[in-house]
Formats: sequence, C-alpha cells, structure tokens
Amino acid sequence: MFNQGGLSLEQAPPISVVLRFFVTASMFGVLLGIFLLADRLGITSFLTHNKPVIIVHTLALGVMASFMLGALFQMLPVIAGVVIKMPTKKAMLVHLLFVVGLVIQLYAFANASTPLLYFLAVAYLGLGLFYAIYLMLKELFQIKDHSSSSKGMIFSLLSFSIAILFGIYMLLTFGGYIEGSYFTQIKELHYSFALFGWLSLLIVSVSFQVVEMFYITPKYPLLMSKYLTLSIFILLLLKTIAIFMALQTELITVLLSILFMVYAGVTIHRLYYRKRPTSDATVWFWRLGMGLLIVSMLITLLDTFIDISLDVKMLSYISFIGFGLSIVFAMVYKIVPFLTWFHLSNQGYMEAPMMHDIIHPKKAKKHFYIHVSMLMVLMITLFFNSFVGDLLSAFLILVSFGWLLYNLLYAIKKYRYTQKYTKKIEW
Amino acid sequence: MIISSYMRREHRECDELFATAEKSVIDGNFEEAEKNFLLFADETLRHFKKEEETLFPTFEKISGSSEGPTMVMRHEHEQVRGLIGKMAGAVESKDMDAYLSMAESMMILLQQHNMKEEQMLYAMCDRMIPQDEKEKTLEVMKTVEL
Repeated sequence: MFNQGGLSLEQAPPISVVLRFFVTASMFGVLLGIFLLADRLGITSFLTHNKPVIIVHTLALGVMASFMLGALFQMLPVIAGVVIKMPTKKAMLVHLLFVVGLVIQLYAFANASTPLLYFLAVAYLGLGLFYAIYLMLKELFQIKDHSSSSKGMIFSLLSFSIAILFGIYMLLTFGGYIEGSYFTQIKELHYSFALFGWLSLLIVSVSFQVVEMFYITPKYPLLMSKYLTLSIFILLLLKTIAIFMALQTELITVLLSILFMVYAGVTIHRLYYRKRPTSDATVWFWRLGMGLLIVSMLITLLDTFIDISLDVKMLSYISFIGFGLSIVFAMVYKIVPFLTWFHLSNQGYMEAPMMHDIIHPKKAKKHFYIHVSMLMVLMITLFFNSFVGDLLSAFLILVSFGWLLYNLLYAIKKYRYTQKYTKKIEW
Repeated sequence: MIISSYMRREHRECDELFATAEKSVIDGNFEEAEKNFLLFADETLRHFKKEEETLFPTFEKISGSSEGPTMVMRHEHEQVRGLIGKMAGAVESKDMDAYLSMAESMMILLQQHNMKEEQMLYAMCDRMIPQDEKEKTLEVMKTVEL
C-alpha cells in the first residue's frame, strides 16, 4: 500500500514532537558546559568519582540521543514512509521517562552509594527508550519495500536496544543487584553498540537520503547503500561473539574502521560533486563531521597495529564526538527552519516566516566557528595541558550549546508569534 | 519501468535547472537568474501538468481511487506552485536573501515529494498499468505543453 505519510499535511507530526527533544538536547549540552566549567574552577569537588561516566552519558544520552530521538520521530515518515499514530502523546511519554531516567542515572553516578537510584534509572530510562524503540521498530518492520535508509534505521535501533540492555546490566551491577561477572566484556560491547551501532548507523542511513536530498549530490554507490549498514551490524554481532568467547577482535576493529573511513570518504566526494552551489554552514558541518570520522577511525585502525599513547587515543574519542555533533548540528539547522516554515504555511499562515527569517544561515555559520574552536581547543589541550585551555574548552562547550539553544528558542518564538499575531487563511 | 525512468529523468533535469538558477542568484546575475528560474519553473510546471492530466488519471482509473497517493501529490504540487510564485517575485525584485531562503524550502519540499513519487507512486504505476497503456500514457506525456 502507498503510504500517505511524509511531509503531507495530514501526517506530519506536530513540530512540538521534534522541538521538545532538540531543546532538551541543547539544555543538556548547556548543563555539560556549566558542569565542566565548575569542575575546572574546582567548584564541583563533591564529584570526585565517576566524572568521566557522567560526562560521557550527559553527552551520549542527554545530547546525542535526545537529538536523534527527535530527528527519528520527524524523519521516519519522510525517509521510511512510516507514521507513528498519536505522536504528540507518545513523544511526550518517551520524553518524560527519558529525562527523568537520565537525571536519576546521572545523580546515581555521582552518588554511587545509593543502589535504589540505579534501579530507578534502569526503570525510567529502560521504559522510555524501549517504548520509543518499540514504536519505531513496529512500524519499520511492516515496510514491504525497504530503502537503504529504512533498513539502516532498523539496524541502528536494534543496536540501540542491545546497547541499552548492556547498559542495564552495568547499572544493576553498580547498584549491587547482580554480580556482574561479565562487566568488562559488556562494557566494551555497550560502547561499541552505542557508538558504532546506534549513533553511526543512524547517521549513515539518514545520510543515504538527506545528503542527496539537501544538496543534490550524485547517489551513493549501490553496493554501499545496500550493504554497508548490514555489514556493520553483522560485524558488531561477531564482535559480541568473539568477546564472550575470549577471541581476538582486532580484525573486526580493522574492518569496522575501514568501512567507516570509506563511507566518510565517499560522502565528502559526493558533497564535492553536489549540484547546488550553496556552501552554507550545514555543508561545512557535514564535511567536518566526515573528516573527523576519518581521523577517529584512522587512529582506531593504527591502534590495532602499533602502541598508541593515551593522548592520541583521546584525540580519536574527541574526533568521534566531533563527528556525531557536527552531523547533528548539520541536520538541526536544516530541519528546524524548514519545519517551522512548513507547519506554519500548511496551517494557512500566509505571512509564515521563510527559513532564513527563522534561523539565518549566518547564525548557523557562527555556530560552526564556535564548534570548530571548541574542538580545536579540546584537541590542543590534550597535548599541552593548561588550566586556561581546560577553562576555555569548557566555556566553548557552554557557548556552543547555548547558541544552539538560543537559535531554537528564537525559532519557537517566531512560530508562536506567527500563530498569535498573523492572519490565517482557512481552506 | 518506463514510467519510472522517464519521470525520474525529468526530476533530475528540474534539479539541474534549479541549481543553475540558484547559482545565477548567488553570482548576483539577476538577468541570467530570471531566465534560468523561468526555465526551472516551466519545466517543473510542465512535469506537474503531465502527471495531473495524464499519469494520475490513468493510475486513478486502474486503482479505482482518486483519494489515495495522487491526492497527496496534487496537494504537494499546489504547495510548490505557491512557492514558485513567491520565488519569481524575489527574482524580479532582485532580493537575493529572500530567494535563497525560499530556495531552501523549495528544495526540501521538492526532494521529499520526488522521493515519494520515485520510490512509491511511479513504481506502482509501472507495476499496475498494462504495458500498452503505459506506452500510450508516455507518448501523450511527451507531447504535453504548458
């Protein structure tokens, strides 16, 4: 059956579904900046342990997963042609459980002596995230003619489920509810499925359609769009088996790194041959993201052959974070202005602001410069330890997410203003 | 797949014309931009006419419904037509920022529309319309003028 979904008037999810996740993501980013700044200034001395885990989860769940869930609610109809019914209520429930669960989890990390908090984190986060995954996978599994993107989204969501399951195991171990005999192995797999599976596979599958759609580029090679996401998912499953059987995983890491590098290279190549002459911030975010993915994967690849210092490994992690954030920002600066305009004009507001009036490309360009500066300071500080560098990087993280939050709130303000003060044409 | 390949080619041609017009605007050459935008608008509207007057009715006759996918596509055509009108105004008044702003919306709107047609509607047309009727439809579409 033909699906009437997509951005057709009747089926597009209300803008609040997407924006609630995007605003939350930016707020967690701002909180991260404040936390790091306070930490560098020695104000958060009460947080002596679990600091890296708190930072990683604020970023991975608070920022990245929030953005990705919001984007998925919006993009499933467009890219995969599936529609989630009653999206407002469902998104609100997911959002509530997710945010409460995450706050409890972060608090539990900071106060490791309270087992009940770990249990509550498992309950809220698990329920919220699995409910979201269920809503999406249920629809995705019903598609008869899969596109490379819809298939990739399935693998991404399956990876997310596995990462969450492993996360639950770890939280229950922290809380003392289970023994956690496989903690080390599960920790490695938790990160692999979350980063290479959930995050990367979603970016890869979405890119197969949006890169071509936003910039009019040549298509990705058929072999890549057809088999890349499947190959990565299979490699992750093989890694799971290898780790539990105490086998070497180097070959899998090598293959994963190569696949991601080839993908990033092809994307840069496609962007170079795009037909649209515009070179706005979003194009630069894509280029930067793909460049950083290559750097990160190159270091991961080298790490399997030679001994690499901790600083260089950290460079790989920062590059990977930079990759994820860059692509998310590239998407947000296209999605938010478009949706604001689209919803308003579909509601009949003839004076609906155009995309540039909602978030002007110059504002996105400023964010790009802030983002690049943030990454550069973070990287330089790795090799030249300095108090000023640490302080500056924390400050730039705060500015980066603060700027994004301002831009999102500005878009919401424009949206509400148009609804309240301009004339609507009924049709 | 004669319907798919013919219509898909037209989409790509419109993309090229759109990109050329956008380049002229970015270069600040509004005389060229006007010419190129007109080419884009004409080609796009001719393509819509082919669909609305020839392909969609054939599909609707065979599928027995005019309230399914074709209704959604017609609605989206209206949205694009509205935007074409506004963009023409921006070219005329040499307003680069307004043009580029609308070009962004137009591109996303058109691309997601094309994607739905290419991935679903055209494939259904190729599958459901008998070969001889498909050939006839194609011949008629080739002669459509604005």
